[in-house]
Amino acid sequence: MTTQAAQERNLEHSVPLAALAIAFLKVALYGIGGGGGLVWARRIAVDQRRWISEQDFADIVSLCQFMPGPNIVGIAVCVGTKLRGSIGAIAAVAGFLLIPWTIGFTLGVLYLQHAHHPALQNILGGVSATAAGLLIATGVRMLLPHRGRPAAVLFAALAFGLMAFGKLPLLFVLLGLAPLSIAVAGIARAR
Amino acid sequence: MSSPPAPFALTAHLALLSSISFGGFPTVLPDVRDFVVATHGWVTDQEFTNFFALAQSIPGPNMILMMSFVGWQVWGFPGALASAFATFGPPCAMYFASYRLWDRFRDAPWQRIVRLGLVPVTMGPVIASGMVMARAADAGWQAAAITVAAAAITLATRLNPMWLLLAGGTLGGLGLL
Repeated sequence: MTTQAAQERNLEHSVPLAALAIAFLKVALYGIGGGGGLVWARRIAVDQRRWISEQDFADIVSLCQFMPGPNIVGIAVCVGTKLRGSIGAIAAVAGFLLIPWTIGFTLGVLYLQHAHHPALQNILGGVSATAAGLLIATGVRMLLPHRGRPAAVLFAALAFGLMAFGKLPLLFVLLGLAPLSIAVAGIARAR
Repeated sequence: MSSPPAPFALTAHLALLSSISFGGFPTVLPDVRDFVVATHGWVTDQEFTNFFALAQSIPGPNMILMMSFVGWQVWGFPGALASAFATFGPPCAMYFASYRLWDRFRDAPWQRIVRLGLVPVTMGPVIASGMVMARAADAGWQAAAITVAAAAITLATRLNPMWLLLAGGTLGGLGLL
């Protein structure tokens, strides 16, 4: 545990603020549509840079689901905080927002003065169908470490079903299921 | 048209809404619409819908962008900046405080249990939002096949998702979906 902690501390010092900002700039530019950023945040922070473990990333996503506001900004805040403290959070959020906001806002203001283009709409349709698949795969991948526990699979399936088919609001689903799921995990561990 | 109190009223209202937007900013969109369209008439219904569609199709922080378009309509560029800050500022402070707290209790026995219980419950909705997006984008079985193929390839390989998005966009652009 101590060696792991020491390793983590070494890792923290080796992540430059610029690298953090650039990573989240990529997350913002690559992630089209709602939730797309999650796919890229996980790929860059966990798979490519190995800044944080799969488990820590899943923790961060879980935590952010319970907070108000744009979840992906929350992921930037948490990953930045974990790696470099408050200055890291600022770097990650600045990387995520500054350039993409400027580009998006400029494009948007220009675009709003023109009508919708059918060809553009078709391309966007294909992109968003693919993006939906990427999001599903990211969720499945973060669940994989828990596949050995039947209770985890059951609660994931319940949460999925209530959202996708029950059309219940996210907060309602989370507040309803989380205490039960945590209680079951606590009982299973106590045995 | 843009009397001095308007930008301040909008900014304050957005800051309040972003602080209570549990489950993501889209959950408070109906409230934003009531405020800017029905109550104040700063934006027409059509414009509001356009802002939404546009923000969804640009890469980047889409809800922050959408609120910037609203702010821009009310008070030009300063309004856009103020609305952007009101949308992400308060949640950022809350994320920071709560992650600090979570990190402080790292390795506490209760945290392991909370994690074991929490992760499945929060990943279900991630998968569900992929499904909901797929349905919103849905134009027939071809689009559904693209979604399934993209998910399967992502799980089976470490292929850069950019290639998949490019392929999906190309198929769509060719009118195959």
